[in-house]
Amino acid sequence: MNRYRPALRLTEFNLLLITAAMTFVGSLTIFLVDKGTVEWTWRDISVGLAAAAAMLLVNITFSLRGFRGDQVLFPITATLAMLGMIMIQRLSPDLIAIGSVEFSLSSRHLLYLAVGLIGMWLVVMLSGPLKVAEWLPQYKYLWLIGTLGLQALAMVIGTEVGGARLWIQVGPIQVQPSEISKITLVIFLAAYLDEKRELLQETWQVGRLKLPPIPYLIPMGIMWGASLLLLVALNDLGPALLFFGIFVIMLYMATGNRLYVAIFGISFIIACWLAWTYFSRIEIRVNNWLDPFWDPYGYGYQPVQSDYALAAGGLFGTGLGQGHPAFISQVQTDYIFSAFGEELGLLGALALIALYFSWVLRSFIIAMRAQEGFVQLVVGGLAASLGLQTIIIIGGVTRVIPLTGITLPFISYGGSSLVTNLAVVGLILYFSSRPRRV
Amino acid sequence: MNNVIRSIFLLAAIGLIGFGLFIGDDLSDARWLALLGGAFLCLLIATRFEIPASTPTFNRGLIRTTMLLASIFIVLSAQLIRIQVIRQRQMYYRTGTAPDGETISNPRLYRQQLTVQRGSILDRNGVVLAETTKEDDVYYRNWPVASTWPITGYYSPNAYGMTGIEATFEEYLSGEASTNAIEQTVNELLNRDLVGADVHLTIDADMQTLAYNAMGNNRGAIVLLEIETGETLVLASKPTVNPNTLYVIDDSAEAEAYWDTIANDEVSKSFVTRATMGLYTPGSTFKTVSAAIAINEGYATPESVYEDNGEITIDGRVLVEQNRPNETQTKWTLREAIMWSLNVVMAQVGLQIGADTYWDYGPKLGYGAEIPYDVPVYESQLANSRSFLDSLNAVADTGFGQGEIQMTPLHLAMVASMWAKGGEMMKPILVREVTADDGTVLHKASSSAFKQGVKSGTADEVAGMMVDVIESGSAQHGQAAGYTIGGKTGTAELGDGTTNSLFIGFIGESKPKYAIAVVLESDPDISAVATGRDILVAAMQR
Repeated sequence: MNRYRPALRLTEFNLLLITAAMTFVGSLTIFLVDKGTVEWTWRDISVGLAAAAAMLLVNITFSLRGFRGDQVLFPITATLAMLGMIMIQRLSPDLIAIGSVEFSLSSRHLLYLAVGLIGMWLVVMLSGPLKVAEWLPQYKYLWLIGTLGLQALAMVIGTEVGGARLWIQVGPIQVQPSEISKITLVIFLAAYLDEKRELLQETWQVGRLKLPPIPYLIPMGIMWGASLLLLVALNDLGPALLFFGIFVIMLYMATGNRLYVAIFGISFIIACWLAWTYFSRIEIRVNNWLDPFWDPYGYGYQPVQSDYALAAGGLFGTGLGQGHPAFISQVQTDYIFSAFGEELGLLGALALIALYFSWVLRSFIIAMRAQEGFVQLVVGGLAASLGLQTIIIIGGVTRVIPLTGITLPFISYGGSSLVTNLAVVGLILYFSSRPRRV
Repeated sequence: MNNVIRSIFLLAAIGLIGFGLFIGDDLSDARWLALLGGAFLCLLIATRFEIPASTPTFNRGLIRTTMLLASIFIVLSAQLIRIQVIRQRQMYYRTGTAPDGETISNPRLYRQQLTVQRGSILDRNGVVLAETTKEDDVYYRNWPVASTWPITGYYSPNAYGMTGIEATFEEYLSGEASTNAIEQTVNELLNRDLVGADVHLTIDADMQTLAYNAMGNNRGAIVLLEIETGETLVLASKPTVNPNTLYVIDDSAEAEAYWDTIANDEVSKSFVTRATMGLYTPGSTFKTVSAAIAINEGYATPESVYEDNGEITIDGRVLVEQNRPNETQTKWTLREAIMWSLNVVMAQVGLQIGADTYWDYGPKLGYGAEIPYDVPVYESQLANSRSFLDSLNAVADTGFGQGEIQMTPLHLAMVASMWAKGGEMMKPILVREVTADDGTVLHKASSSAFKQGVKSGTADEVAGMMVDVIESGSAQHGQAAGYTIGGKTGTAELGDGTTNSLFIGFIGESKPKYAIAVVLESDPDISAVATGRDILVAAMQR
């Protein structure tokens, strides 16, 4: 067998052409709106061209190396990443102008994007030779320790950014540990649940009561509780909510037992109630959720400005570069969805939600087609975790649920988020090339 | 069966969201979220279709998870539709107040001033009172007629917000409400600058300036209404705020200094537009109201006789009469009491009327009632609360216009107009019409009665007594050759020992045409009666 026999990836190529066209038009638009003329130079469109070329290059190298994985997931990912790239390019000058950030975000974001794409490419190409599918489940307790260790590390040496988010400084690079531990948590759960799948599907008889097999759940419960506690202690509620959701969904995927969902649903409600009673900052979040105008210049400032931005967008949006999303502080991270709502309108916002849904759906299809139980659970778990993350932040920004800070996958500004999420895509792509069920 | 149940829940989910979006679109956020939560649960049940038993457990879990995520995404979309389309306008224009009193509004409104050719404000003859011009791609707004500043208000969305017509007609002036839906969508898509609609006032700028200048350096207000229509010809108010200084494009030290000055001036209180927001004790001008109620209820006629020998003792308090023209006369008719403004007689009339009847008449005459107008009007009152009138002295004081009565100059003019128009209080009009830049009329005022306070016979009697006040009573310096003028003066002592001077009146030839209210604060150096007469005559001569 020739490992490198080329295989044309035409579907992916065709889909990427649409993305490339969007990227080109989008980046040209933001330069033209900024200058207020219709004259352009090659310099203006160099970014858009380079980004479009990079994506096509990924496709071509995939073809040349004979990669046979899924052809739809990458174009969806690329569309989301390019939308994020365009929006960051568009926001950067405005944010500098009002003094919200001290340096240009655009070139940094481009760097993160390049690193992320290369990382994704390497994960896709090297996972096979490095036998990732074999050692990932083997070292499951390493991932468990990694998940907890990263959070604990953040607590000890982490620096606070923007009130809540915790980062670890490694040389010149800031790492957001919850973005990485999200992946290690899914890998650990997938490995553990795959191994104990049969045992967990049984029931545990105590007298006449039919209970879940509690002994097998204890180790999982402990690690989950510990990592949640750490996140709550760090005041990082978005990831805490995400971890909780990942845990329930993966347990349900592995066992199909509705009882778990019910138990965790109830315990979630109790946890919310306890948190609301004992943490004053939760009360602030609830107030912001129901009516941010209670403190429009203080705690409610961001949600108030986000409401104004979304309302300014209306049905069609103001047009890229024509709105004023920079009025929302931290618009480049937590509130970037409002920037899309303002400039691309309801239609753009709904299209964005549809893109995320297709991304999750496509990953689920990959998971269903996989033969190995571990692969199924890892891909299903990773897809569900990104889907949940999207829901948590969009729901928070649009005030369907209280806001808990977390990044919008592929779109928010931030290296950790972009690089790890693209690595997730790389992993899913690699797993999609493994033997499938017919 | 299963399908039937799921269909019912699907319909229920659609129903809940549809109700929340289209019917209950004024729901509070919390209630809407509860509806949304209910719709979400319905969706969960509706998407629980049967999965073939042969499906592996894992796939089953994924399908269920997919349905869960789909339901959540539908809920998110519904929320977006609500924010961005259904409640878009409310959200966009929503304002709030911080605990420290600072207000917040959408910062985009200020940006709008740079992209909207804001409509003009014009007087009844087309004189420009506010207009926006474009210079070097920047829109500037200019308010050339100083006397009309209290009406136009200022427009400074970036820094200081907006007031007056600029605020109440914001949606028209900014063009938001002027274009039709299709045109608006096209403009939005093409990113065209909006062109605002023009607001035409009933004000006569020349008369307004005349009244404004006549007030000299005194604080106060002059309101002139056309009796037949309720149109406002003059709504002068002093002091005022200069909108030209407060129109800020970039940060302006001049505007900031000016703002600090007027915001900290506790004496002038320039932000209070006296004509509509100043609350004054009406003093003796209120005697016309007491007389009208007494006549209307049949307690008295203009010729009813009262005893006034210089003082009266009510509930142990001695009230001294200072206004008798003839100290030897002790019997006075109601007509004479109005003509000479006799407090002792009007105190007796007040006691005749009594607290209950006063309180019944309040709303009919516009006290404690919201007066519909094109700029904000404060509510007049007979007393802070009904219980004040429990004391006999309070009722007696109310009878001659003291006590706790508070009235805006606009309301005073409306009362004067009511006596001259057979007891019919017209709805006051300030904006005659709003026209889009293509000439389409977007809003047109029509004259209508606001209240029928008293029977027409009663009002005619009161109007007659007011003519007597000018022709042979206490205010004979209010006469003008060739015209019939009726009026009533008033004074009200302030806490600081100074006195406000008031005059209400009307003028006509065969039939009353204009009604006026003049209020001058704190020992004015001019006569309210003479000022009122001059304005009335000037209005007739135009």
